[in-house]
This record gives sequence, C-alpha cells and structure tokens, in this order.
Amino acid sequence: MTICDECGVSRRDLLRLGAGGVGLGLLGGVGPVPSVLAQAARSVGAASSAKILVVFEWFGGNDGLNTIVPYGDPAYYRHRPTIGIKEADVLPIDAQFGWYKSMRGMKNLYDDGKIAIVHGVGYDQPSFSHFTSISFWHTAAPNSGNEYGWVGRTASSLDPTGARENLIVNVSASQTLAVKAEHHVPLVFVDPDAFQRGVFAQEKPLLGLLGTHEAPVGDAHRYLLEVTKSAAQASEVVRAAWGRYRTKANPDLRLLDLDKVVALIEADFPTQLYYVPLRNSLFDTHVNQAAPHDRQLQYCSDAIEGFFAEMRRIGRADDVVMYVHSEFGRRVPENTSLGTDHGTAQVNFIIGNAVKGGMYGQPPSLTELVLGDNLASTTDFRRVYATLIGDWLGADATQVLKQKFETLGLFAV
Amino acid sequence: MATRTQWSPGAESWQDDLGALPRTEWSYDRAAHLLAHAGFGGTPEEIQRLADVGLERAVKALVDYEHIPNPKMQPFVESGLWDPTLDQFPDSRPEATDRAERDGVSMGVAAKPAGNRPVQPVSDRFFYWLRATMLETRRLGYWWANRMLQTTHPLEQKMALLWHGHFATHENKVRDYRKMHQQIELFERYATGNLRNLAVAVAQNPAMLYFLDAQFNVKGAPNENFAREVMELFTMGVGNYTEQDVRECARAFTGWYFDDLAFMVDADKHDAGPKAFLGRTGNFDGVDVLEIIFEQPVTAEFLAAKVYRFLVRDELSPELRAKLGTVLRDADYELKPLLITILSSKDFYSAATYGGHIKGPVEHMVAMMKHLGAPTMPGVPDFNQSTIAMGQNLLNPPSVAGWAGGKAWITPGLLIARGNVAREVLIPDMTGFRDWNFQAGTDDVLGQRLRAGYDIGAATAVNDPANMSDFDRVALERDEKFNTRISGYIGWEQAARKLIPTPRDAARIDLTAMVLESGATTPAEAVDQLAARLLRVPASAALREALVAFLTQEIGTDSLERAKTYLEDPLRMTAHVLMSTPEYQIV
Repeated sequence: MTICDECGVSRRDLLRLGAGGVGLGLLGGVGPVPSVLAQAARSVGAASSAKILVVFEWFGGNDGLNTIVPYGDPAYYRHRPTIGIKEADVLPIDAQFGWYKSMRGMKNLYDDGKIAIVHGVGYDQPSFSHFTSISFWHTAAPNSGNEYGWVGRTASSLDPTGARENLIVNVSASQTLAVKAEHHVPLVFVDPDAFQRGVFAQEKPLLGLLGTHEAPVGDAHRYLLEVTKSAAQASEVVRAAWGRYRTKANPDLRLLDLDKVVALIEADFPTQLYYVPLRNSLFDTHVNQAAPHDRQLQYCSDAIEGFFAEMRRIGRADDVVMYVHSEFGRRVPENTSLGTDHGTAQVNFIIGNAVKGGMYGQPPSLTELVLGDNLASTTDFRRVYATLIGDWLGADATQVLKQKFETLGLFAV
Repeated sequence: MATRTQWSPGAESWQDDLGALPRTEWSYDRAAHLLAHAGFGGTPEEIQRLADVGLERAVKALVDYEHIPNPKMQPFVESGLWDPTLDQFPDSRPEATDRAERDGVSMGVAAKPAGNRPVQPVSDRFFYWLRATMLETRRLGYWWANRMLQTTHPLEQKMALLWHGHFATHENKVRDYRKMHQQIELFERYATGNLRNLAVAVAQNPAMLYFLDAQFNVKGAPNENFAREVMELFTMGVGNYTEQDVRECARAFTGWYFDDLAFMVDADKHDAGPKAFLGRTGNFDGVDVLEIIFEQPVTAEFLAAKVYRFLVRDELSPELRAKLGTVLRDADYELKPLLITILSSKDFYSAATYGGHIKGPVEHMVAMMKHLGAPTMPGVPDFNQSTIAMGQNLLNPPSVAGWAGGKAWITPGLLIARGNVAREVLIPDMTGFRDWNFQAGTDDVLGQRLRAGYDIGAATAVNDPANMSDFDRVALERDEKFNTRISGYIGWEQAARKLIPTPRDAARIDLTAMVLESGATTPAEAVDQLAARLLRVPASAALREALVAFLTQEIGTDSLERAKTYLEDPLRMTAHVLMSTPEYQIV
C-alpha cells in the first residue's frame, strides 16, 4: 500500500513536468493573482459563509482497536497479547477507552470538545477486500454499486443544475470514486505548483482551441475534451491560491495534503466538498504493525490538529467539519506476524467546532465476535453520511443515500 | 506527397463481432490502428510494411514474434549495489539497529565498539540499501522503456507491461531491484504464452512472494494476503468465492517462500491436510488450487476481459466478455489464439474501438519516441520523472490492484502534465536540467550543512544552525546511538557513489528532415504531415488552421525550402501543440 515517499523531486522538475503522483509541494508557489481569486470566489455567491466538509480517507484498513484503545476490557489483551497497546501507552478518555499515545494532537481536540468518536461503524455482509470495501464506502452502496459517488451525489443535491464551479475538490493523483458526480467536474490535483501548462509565449493563443472539436469520436474523446476545458480554468485559480498560502513554509506544521485544503479555504474558494485520500498509507498493517501504525497515527493526528489551528487562524473554524474513515477495521485477534488482518467495523471521527464532542455508537463486543473473529458493526456508515449530508451540509440525505437513515445528533444545534 | 486516408473506423455494427475482418477492408489506416493498439504505434514506414502484407500476416508478425530477430535487446547492466550481506534485509530501521545491538553486526556492517553514535554505520547501511534499490529501480525502468521502444516484438513488450500492472508488485515494498528485474524477465517470457503457467510462475516469483507476505503464511497460522489477491485481482474477481475459500486457499499456499532469488517450499511449514476449495476437496497445494481456479469459467472471462480492455477499449459488453472467455478457455489458456482472434476481428476495427483507448503514460512515452523517430529514450527529460508526472511510476504501481487505466489516466493535472512532458521531450531544458538521482531530495540541505562544517547534531536540527548561537549549536551535539535523519542523506551518498549514471542526452530527433523527406513544401503540408504521424484521431479543423498560421508566422515564409535552416524549433512547437491535444491521448 505504500508508495515512494522519498523521491527527491525539485520544484523546478515539478514545474516542468506537471502534476502527478509525487508532488511534494516543497517551496513557495507562484505569485499572487488576486483577480483570478476574486473571480473564483465570485462564481459562488456567498462562499465565505458556506459550510464545508473535508473527508480525510485513511485507506489501507486502519486498526481501530489500536487507535481508540479499549484498554479497560481484559478481552482486548486476550486477543492481542503481543501487539495490544499497554495501558501506559494510552491517553485515557475514560476507564474503558483511550487514544493511542502518538495521537496527542487529536486528543487535544477531543479534550476541547471538538471530536465525535463513532464506534463500530460498518455495514452488513462486509467485504474483506480493500478495493471492494472502499468502493462500497465511495458509492454508499454496500454489496451493490452506483455510478456516482456519495460526495458527487451530495453536490447534485446542493446544486441540482451543476451551476457552481469547483464545488468539489479532490486532492489526489487520480479521481476518487466518491467524488464522481453527474453534473460537476471535480477539481483533481496533487501538487498546485505543478498544476500549470508549460507553454512558450507564441504558443499561448493556440491553447484555447484544445478543448473543442467539431466531431468527437466517442466517449473517451468527449471526456478528454471536457477535462481539457476544466483544466485550463482550474489550474490558474488553484495556483493563485497556493501562491498566496504562507503557512506552507512552517516546517513544524505538517499537514500532509490538508495544506492544499487550507490554502483554498483561505482563498475563499467556492468549494464545499473536499476529499483527501491519504497518500503513502501505512494502515495495511499485516506484519510488524507497531512501528508503522504508531508513525501513521501520529502523522495523521498532527496534521488534523494543525489543520484546525489553521482554520482558527483564518477565522473559518466554525464553518468546517472533517470526517475521517477507512475502508474497514482489522481483525480482533492479532496474527502470527505481529500484525492484524483485514476486518470489519471501524472507528470514525467527525471533527470541528460545530461538533458535540464525545463518543457515539455502541462499542462492539470483544467477546461476541462474528465472521471469523471480527467485530459486529453497530452503526451503518450511511448513518454517519446522513448526519454529514443532512445535519451539517443541509442537503437531502435521503435522496443522496436512496434511503432514510437516522442521524447521530452529533452537531450542536 | 501521398495523401493517406487517416481515419476510417469500421462499421458500428461490427462491434462485438469476433468474425475476421474481410480482406478488402485492410488498409494503411487499419494497419496503423493495429500497431497503435497491439504495440506502441510506429513510423509511416513500419505501418506501410504491415499494410503491404495483409491482415493475416500483419497479425501473425505481431503475435508470432519469436523467430523475428531482435538485435537491439541488451541485458540490464547492474551498478553493483547489492552484495550478499543484504540478504534477509530487515523490515525496518529499528529492526536493523536492534540486530546490531544484539549481534554487533547488521547487514555486514559492524557497530563501533566505543564512541558517540556507535550504531550509526548500521543505520547508514540500512538507508544505503533503501536508496540503492530505489535508484537502481529507476535505471531498470528506463532500461525496460528502451526495450519497449527498440524491440521488434512490440506486442511482447505491451503484454509484459500488462502483466506488470495485473500481477502488481512495487519496489517500494519489495526493496530489491533484482527481484523486480527477475519479474520483468518473467513477464517477457510468458507475455503471450500460457496464462495458467504464468499464474503459477507469478505465485512462485520472489518479488510476489515477498510482496504478499508469503513468508508469514505457514501451517497453523495462515496469512491470507496472497490467497485473497490471487482470486480477487489475479484470476476470478470478487464475488466468485467465499471467505472460506480464501482461508482454504491460504492453507494450500503455506510453506511457499523464497531464498534470495529462488522459489522454495518448506515441507514442514506446509499444511498438507485436506482442504475444501471451490467445491472440491483434497490435499491441495498451491499449484492444485491454481488448477482449480483455472477450471472456473469465470477465470477465463475475467482474464480475457483484462487483456481486451488493455489492448482494445475500456468498455466491453457482457456478451463479448463471455465470447472472449470461451476463446481463451477453448485454447486451454494459451494467449495467442485469443490475441489473434481479437486483433483480426471486425470488432477490433469497429467504430467503437477507434479512439476508444486512452494510452497509459508509459505506453504514451514510448509511442511519443516512435512517432518522433527517436532511436532511444532520451535522458532529458528523465523517463521516470516524466511518467510519474503523468500518473504512472513504472515498477511502483500504487497498490496490488495495479493501475486503474482508462479514464483514470486523465485528470486536469495529469492531462496538463502530458503536454508538459511533450514539451520537455521536444524542447528540453538542457541547461536547467538536474539529475534527480544525484540530488538527495529534501535531505540535500543536510549535505550542505555537513560540508559547511556543522556536526551531525547541528546539521540535522530543525532550524538552520547558521542562525543559532554557538551555545545552542553545541547543545545540539548529543550522545546517541545513531541519528537516522543523517542516515537518509549518507545512505543516498553511498548509493550514488556506485550508481551507474544515466546518460543525459536530449532526444535525437530531426523533424526538419522528417517533414522535408515526406515531400512537404508548405506550412500546411508540414502540419498535415506531423498530424498524420502523431495523431490517430484527427485534430479539429480550427486547430489545424491555427497551426498552419502559427507555423507560417514562425518561419516568416510559405516555403519550407526557404526556411529549412531554421525550421526545427518551429516544427517542434507545432508538434508540442499537437501532442497537447485531447486527440493525441487516444488511439
């Protein structure tokens, strides 16, 4: 599941070649282009007050039991005699549960009442395949499917005609299924610095002709024409926003890819839906999981704390909610390789000022396991989605999810 | 100048029809279509040769390539980075240094008996190999790309690329370029051979065994990683087996492991007991369960559809999928009959297939060189950086599922990158280029600080030691067993000392000669000639007209002859714009 994370790439190389999988966003961006930004903001109407959802996907299958540790339950240590997190390595929430020690950042947010922990999130007849399970989560259609993603369908509910540009941003090398939408072209990129067409002065007048064709030859061609048009517009506004974002120079604030989200929010982007799949994920911990899981949780937790510090700095902390999930949790007993195998129910986080902090959902039993030593899920993940779509964004959750789900009541009214 | 019919898609009604294309329908354009899909495209001369011999012989030349001489294939020349002390390479830096503290030595390097940072050489050694195998893998990818470009067996290379993405492993986890090299050779050997044999060979391939944790799959404690992926991703697809089948399959593979580059079976760790698998019961081992998997009709359909999508077009109907599965199964999983059927079929030349395939970045990069007449892959721009920018890191697919392909190759950012890569090929930044193999990435600053005379503590400080007081700086130099941050830099340096440099030459192309020799005399003919070479799908009329005006303006005359001494860069810019079009991305 890991991808090269030590490639040395100079900014000049990135500028030369373009976006792609290895963008590191090392240094400053291009100069500010305020008029472009103003245009981006104008195309929405009241961007600055709109509610924003940031989905931070921890792909790989996060081990929820070693994240929010049920250290008060002796059954936990029976299942995990070797890799179970010792009480001394837990930051306690109560006598039953605590944060894994490297998650100090999220613990701080939790202590401030800004994190809802939802236990036992999953779905019936779970798939143990990364790719199948994540596709169920992306489409909100477990053991079924949908052509569009749940975030894409939420966009349709917020803006049925597709009039609003850049409503969805996907910080990813390739488009995530969750954002696939009927009426909106999601803005997909990894590295803003690299997100520009390299052209010589005399070639510039020709560029405007690339996105149109009198006789498209088929579906693939039509798709390419559409992307060509949106690329031209989007690259300019994204780079302008990134160029004005100053905190990226702060080495103590490691935001993973969330820094791009901060930059766009600070620039008053019209985006309400951000989707950020974690790159270089180390969550698929079949073997010797202690060290990589420790590191991964710390990186993610620090990034989330830093992200909300940035939201406070720019005065948008009340408008933004973050949602963290994986495609499944892991099996309850440890395996013989000091790791854990693919499992079922997982722990989710909903984070923000608007959230009533605390623990939600019934924690699954560690003694009554199902499906070969797995947790029985207690909360359908679409209830969490419904809560975010309806209670937070004010869209029509029943329409988006094709079914009515009871929400979790975790937002302060 | 010969005007060629450039674009003659067959009838829509041909779609899904596996009957052979009538001989009367064969043409230059159909030959170009064949070479673009079954290979990496070609020069007009190469296309004409296929057009001249007719459909049957053209397809046969691509599929039955074994007897065709392939003089430019050179073996991979290793830099000599590996030595036997790196066998059993530790999974993590803590494991590497723990070994040294326990045994006094780790990866062939001893800990110092006394002094500060006694385990530093071991930590450095660990990072040496991480950097070394990463850098050598870049060379390996570049070597492979040159094979794709220079081969006289394009379908062999195209299929090897398919199998790399299908039976996906990545060096970032395998951490051994030698195993990746071994795997490329495997994919070439079985490129168009028997798929069942290929699957068995992959299951016994050290890179795959390591990648999917075979060493942890032992009797009494099966690890399901490989068993699951072999069914879900490699053969049948999800939904055609149960969780119970996964567990039983894992048991059958217990005891399979590798010793360095050799496949091994440990009989003591193999669970020889009976297994109930896909409706059959027996004391199966790994080969047996693969046999059973290949008896399932769904396996033939799944794999035939994979081949089809990779070579032909992204979407296929369930009916066509079933028909292709039957062809593969009837041939007992020999690939050649399937390939001949597909490439000779009316369906392959139907309107749906024309322009129905989005080129993957590696395929695109090789095709670009073919179109431009470059004899070798250039060193500037760097091959790997270019394909990574376009979304494909050869030998490092994003996950065991390989690359999604199709429309997933195209996002706004990736599409822009394609145009930018084309520019760097056509008009390379030779004076601005820096070789990323000899830059330690974000660790470059550590080297600068060491050379400026800072000790390791100060060099690895978060803040710049130049802006600290002497007191603060001295306080940074501490007693410790080792410093991993400096190891990241030292390891890169140690690897770079041994690494064979990649020649950093620009693409050897001559568009002036190419255009003039085609008989073109005017800017309009030059644009048409370049477009005919580069594009399968014609560019818009408006763009063609604008390019003619652009070229005329750039050369200041209507006469190519008059402008021939300074024609090259204007032609290259014209080609850059053509290569930036949506049309250039599809065949």
